Amino acid sequence: MTDNCTCNNGKNPYLPEIATVTRIIEETPNIRSFQVVFNDAEKMKNFTFEPGQVGQLSVFGVGESTFVINSPPTRMEYLQVSVMKAGEVTAALHNIYEGDQIGVRAPLGNWFPYNDMKGKNILFIGGGIGLAPLRTLILYMLDNRADYKDITIIYGARTPPDLCYKDDIKEWESRSDVNLILTVDVEFPGWEKRIGFVPTVLKEVAPKPDNTIAITCGPPIMIKFVLEGLAGLKFPEENIVTTLEARMKCGIGICGRCNMGHKYICKDGPVFTLAQLNELPEI
Amino acid sequence: MSTEKLKETIQKVFPDVECVICWQEGFDKLHTTPLFITTPDQTEKVVWNLLCVQNLAAYLPSLKKKIAVVVKGCDSRTIVQFMQEGLIDRSNVVVIGIPCRGVVSVKKVLAAVGQQPIEDVKVSDGNIIVKTPKGEKTLAIADVSPGKCKTCQYPTPVIYDFLVGEPIESDKPAASVYDDVREFEKLSLAERKAYFEKEFGKCIRCYACRNACPMCVCQDSCIAETRDPHWITQKMTPEEKMMFHMIHSVHLAGRCVECGECERVCPMDIPVAKLKKKINSAMKELFDYVPGVNPDDKPPMYTFNVDEVKIKEHKL
Amino acid sequence: MADTGFLPKEKIKEFLEALSKDTVVYVPTKEGETAAFKVYSPDAEICLDRPANIPPKSVIYPQCETLLSFEYKKTDPDDPKKMAVEVRAETNYPKAVIFGCRPCDAKGFAIYDRVFLDTDTADPYYREHREKTTIISLACEAPFAGCFCVAVGGGPADTAGSDVLMTEVDKGYYLEALTEKGRAALSVPVIEDGASYKAAAEKIKTEARAKVKNPFPADATEKVSPKLFDTDEFWQQVTNKCVSCGACTYLCPTCYCFNITDEQALSKGERIRTWDACMFRHFTLEASGHNPRPTKSRRFRNRVGHKFSYYPEKYNGAIACCGCGRCIRYCPVSVDISEVVGYLKDPKQDPATWVATNTKAVKDGSL
Repeated sequence: MTDNCTCNNGKNPYLPEIATVTRIIEETPNIRSFQVVFNDAEKMKNFTFEPGQVGQLSVFGVGESTFVINSPPTRMEYLQVSVMKAGEVTAALHNIYEGDQIGVRAPLGNWFPYNDMKGKNILFIGGGIGLAPLRTLILYMLDNRADYKDITIIYGARTPPDLCYKDDIKEWESRSDVNLILTVDVEFPGWEKRIGFVPTVLKEVAPKPDNTIAITCGPPIMIKFVLEGLAGLKFPEENIVTTLEARMKCGIGICGRCNMGHKYICKDGPVFTLAQLNELPEI
Repeated sequence: MSTEKLKETIQKVFPDVECVICWQEGFDKLHTTPLFITTPDQTEKVVWNLLCVQNLAAYLPSLKKKIAVVVKGCDSRTIVQFMQEGLIDRSNVVVIGIPCRGVVSVKKVLAAVGQQPIEDVKVSDGNIIVKTPKGEKTLAIADVSPGKCKTCQYPTPVIYDFLVGEPIESDKPAASVYDDVREFEKLSLAERKAYFEKEFGKCIRCYACRNACPMCVCQDSCIAETRDPHWITQKMTPEEKMMFHMIHSVHLAGRCVECGECERVCPMDIPVAKLKKKINSAMKELFDYVPGVNPDDKPPMYTFNVDEVKIKEHKL
Repeated sequence: MADTGFLPKEKIKEFLEALSKDTVVYVPTKEGETAAFKVYSPDAEICLDRPANIPPKSVIYPQCETLLSFEYKKTDPDDPKKMAVEVRAETNYPKAVIFGCRPCDAKGFAIYDRVFLDTDTADPYYREHREKTTIISLACEAPFAGCFCVAVGGGPADTAGSDVLMTEVDKGYYLEALTEKGRAALSVPVIEDGASYKAAAEKIKTEARAKVKNPFPADATEKVSPKLFDTDEFWQQVTNKCVSCGACTYLCPTCYCFNITDEQALSKGERIRTWDACMFRHFTLEASGHNPRPTKSRRFRNRVGHKFSYYPEKYNGAIACCGCGRCIRYCPVSVDISEVVGYLKDPKQDPATWVATNTKAVKDGSL
């Protein structure tokens, strides 16, 4: 790609790497996962990222959108993102085929402070496609299982077909070193497990805050109630981690859109602790 | 009509509404700015003079509470047009009308004094006397009034709940309203094209004209920026800019009340109202329709009737 | 190369012609009553007696910049759906000179330098424009309507962002080179020796500075009041009249928010970066329909906050406003940012009292 950019020795933060879509997985009726590999094999081999970092994916001619890389850096045969069909770019992504080419600008942003979480219990709380950023960290931790103590995952979606990563869920259910608690919002034919909103299930499970880091991601309304629930369970603010999203364009912290005060979600985030968020003005 | 009478009316109306929209002094002596009165002691800031140029009726569709608004004749047509299109709830609006013999164009005054900063402004005997660091200049109000005042047909508001002052009749011939359009049409097509290329070349797509226009209600769905349908790119070429202005003007066909705000607010002094006036003159000829005069009218482009009432086909 | 020079008034065109030989020279050009920066031509009506309507920011930070171009190409004659995409990014900008802008205009570039260059993701497009452009600013003799440059750390003879500062003296302009690029510009033969004009120029600069008014209270606090910043009623009251256009943003020498869009026709297209305004309703609108800044009050709070709080916090107190006054002069309804910031810096302001005496705020409907 460098010889296609004549500016600044090819160092151009706006220039995407061309990647090919190697596999498309239909997670739910409106969510697809894309596995992509850079066309430049050398770049793919040398690519590194941290769990929680994001990338701007381009469909050239349509635009760019931000997605977390939800495969872990311990499994680098491909990069995976999950896309919920919502607007112009996500609709265009849902229209492409395996073998098509897209652009990738990655890695962007900060990452989960997983080193600070070593030796602690980890509580993941996800809703819907909010499991995507959590997935990268879950898989990373499972690949480094000995470094972490108890791992609990509370995950819910509207209905069973809306649960993402069904293969992963099967695997996590079968593991004895992961406590997976699944729930759906409403009754559904064939569903024998829990029924209830994720914040409600959190209250029922009532995990202890001692030596535990809580990491949550999901629809804004779910995050709001989960944060209230965790406060009620006496989780300290520095031990609650979330990952945010907003409309993004530059991905490098300057275009003025995703800033909360002087911090940009795309560059200084998207991962923040609740303690950090409380210091910042609203977007 | 004095500012005192206006203040009295506002104080009378205030207890019945959430807010009264009127004018107060602006950042310098040549400017006024809208004042949203929400507490009684703000009434002392009210002014009424020929610097009160903003069309305050433009705020009405976005305010859902009971509001009183002060309007000149041209502004009042906006309210009637809103009623025709169902954009306001008439029972939620208290209209304080002021008969007006014309305002001044801030741009024309500044041009006459070489764009100098304004130190003081006085009005006397049909003149406006402007003081700048370079001295004092006396300008005839007739020389610095906007085009719309020179052909004004509605010096008295066409709708009001209170009228502050005595009604005035127009002393301008109705036939003069589109004189400027006729004058421009004397140019050849090539000359007109060169004119618009030069003028719209200055456009910076700030959308001040669009946002100041009271009738422009597309909001986030404006074709200037939407991508579905993708009519206009974000490129800064004359074609893209011209396309935006043309579509904007066509969207206003039969709706533009010629309040002149679009042209007043353009920071690059582009005569954006020309296209709208041309379309309005065509609407007048084709449908015998004048926007913003009769609340029971329906704008001709607003509805589609197979048997168009009043259309004069093939005339143009 | 000399550090100072003198440009006789009657030799301005000669100077600009000489510069035009190997650079693109932008001068404030009058068209009717509008002054905007255009490429110099001998019959241009150069306007030096007042700031241009729009600053020259487009010379270094174009309103529309092509970031990359792309082309889809079919790769398999037997399968029309199979396509590869080729992407190119190029910069080959000409050298340029901006002549006759004001110090407030040039200060904008100093603001941009931190954002676009002082980062691990430096912007190659901005860098090339900036490195290839020489800025010759004209000091102001007196303030213009709405000016408040001194109050925000600038001044009518401020040098931030410029390569040369010109001061009008009797019969011509005293020139001071501030950078290597500036010294190179002064080496054009038509420039005469400037040493004897220095004293006259300094006098004019001092007198001009004293004339610029300060819109903030005499005992203004250093920083804006965070409490008033968080008071929703305050922002609703000051933005009741705002119409959410982008005039203030596009005319501002220090504003730089932008949009990136792909514009394609058939199989080819470009990804362009264009100015955008945080004042527009849809600026932060997400595909889900959620808008974190749904109201004028939130957007204006972000704009004022960015200039007077967020940028200073990130960059050691530097204020991202040059006090040029354009946003005040050209605002359709005369929103006055200097007045708003004056309230925010007033140490006597108690938010509760302010709210009680100044508002029962009118909330903006559903917009």
